[in-house]
Amino acid sequence: MSIIEFRQTSKHFGDLKVLDQVDLSIDAGQVVVLIGPSGSGKSTLLRCINGLEQITGGDLVVDGISVREGRRRLQQIRQEAGMVFQQFNLFPQMTALENVAFGPRKVRGTPAAEARAQALALLEKVGLKDRASHYPSELSGGQQQRVAIARALAIRPKVMLFDEPTSALDPELKQEVLSVMRQLAQEGMTMVVVTHEMAFARQVGTRLIFMENGKISVDGDPREMIGNPPSGRLRDFLQHVE
Amino acid sequence: MQTDWSVVLTFLPQLLAGAKVTLQITLFGLVGGTLLGVLAGLMRAYGGPILNAIAFAYVELIRGTPIVVQVMFLYFALPVLAGVRVDPMSAAILAIVVNAGAYIAEIVRGAFLSISRGLTEAGLAIGLPHWKVLLYIVGPLAFRRLIPPLGNQFIVSLKDTSLFIVIGVGELTRTGQEIMAANFRAVEIWTAVAVFYLLMTGSLTLLLRMVEKRMRIL
Repeated sequence: MSIIEFRQTSKHFGDLKVLDQVDLSIDAGQVVVLIGPSGSGKSTLLRCINGLEQITGGDLVVDGISVREGRRRLQQIRQEAGMVFQQFNLFPQMTALENVAFGPRKVRGTPAAEARAQALALLEKVGLKDRASHYPSELSGGQQQRVAIARALAIRPKVMLFDEPTSALDPELKQEVLSVMRQLAQEGMTMVVVTHEMAFARQVGTRLIFMENGKISVDGDPREMIGNPPSGRLRDFLQHVE
Repeated sequence: MQTDWSVVLTFLPQLLAGAKVTLQITLFGLVGGTLLGVLAGLMRAYGGPILNAIAFAYVELIRGTPIVVQVMFLYFALPVLAGVRVDPMSAAILAIVVNAGAYIAEIVRGAFLSISRGLTEAGLAIGLPHWKVLLYIVGPLAFRRLIPPLGNQFIVSLKDTSLFIVIGVGELTRTGQEIMAANFRAVEIWTAVAVFYLLMTGSLTLLLRMVEKRMRIL
């Protein structure tokens, strides 16, 4: 069953065509890794799913709701699709715990005590229970990103969107974030991940998509695609990344 | 020349009354001005083209004309145009509201737009409507950055009330002028008036310092 469906989806920024009539169907439980050169449209594709970018052509349906159905419906989509950003974007005036409890409190109307308990459990899951009362400025990049993952999970989404989640991290901090993501994938979470971590794509991904010029150029099994790239452009790209 | 500081004591009740009027104009004017400024600033930052244009026209109109002309207009021209009687005190308060509002609008707009776009996106991404993102996330962060420039504007507005001498409202400067006219003790009286202003702006500075200390700038 497909949970995200791009139907001839286009996105223009003025005259610039960033997504060019993309057709793509993502099923529940898939871990889709999006790769491609910068400017190929992979981040835009991801950001269209939760409406942070508005599509300009075609349609895009997430969990049965079209992103074109209006603001209210878009908020519903966003509660089904959690997002993790390259720059973490934790709320700096809130502690780790408050960051995680905030969504359920203000979006779902969860009572404070319950939201707190749930947030603590999520922080424990990402290995940061002992950092609950720390402010983002007191956490390392890797820790901040793990809190950000917990914050996105707190609204109980069906899909998790990752926009280059480890690109802003030092190599030794990437692993702690990737291992949390790996654990999520093992639990069956549907994930769409924009990343250059090819090891993650190979080990965790169930599907690899290579984008070029706003189009999907190759779509297939990560191990096969990385082991034996079906196109010259993909082979070149992989050599640059690894 | 001889100075006689006892005149300050003699006229202390009048000076205090003048300072009280100055404080009243400032207080009511700034409460109104802050409300108007926040509204106009948010219209500038987040309003559609129409709201934005209205707020822009207001800010430019006020910033582009002197406050003395504004209060003269409110006191002398508005009654002619609208056929309403405006007493000097109301004209003075209204002038501060309108004038400070325009400057505060720019302060508010700048503070809100200085908050990283990523934080707004993070708020939207968990499914909050935009107004809640502004209320719970961007607003509290912007408020911290608002305090220093806002304090500056409060002090400017307090001192601007001295210009309302032109419409004869009995604030501190006007009071000083009246005492002076009667006894020609320029040195003593204007020194006293200056000290009164310093005490008021100094208290304001201290108050803002305290607020700033309690709020970490993030």
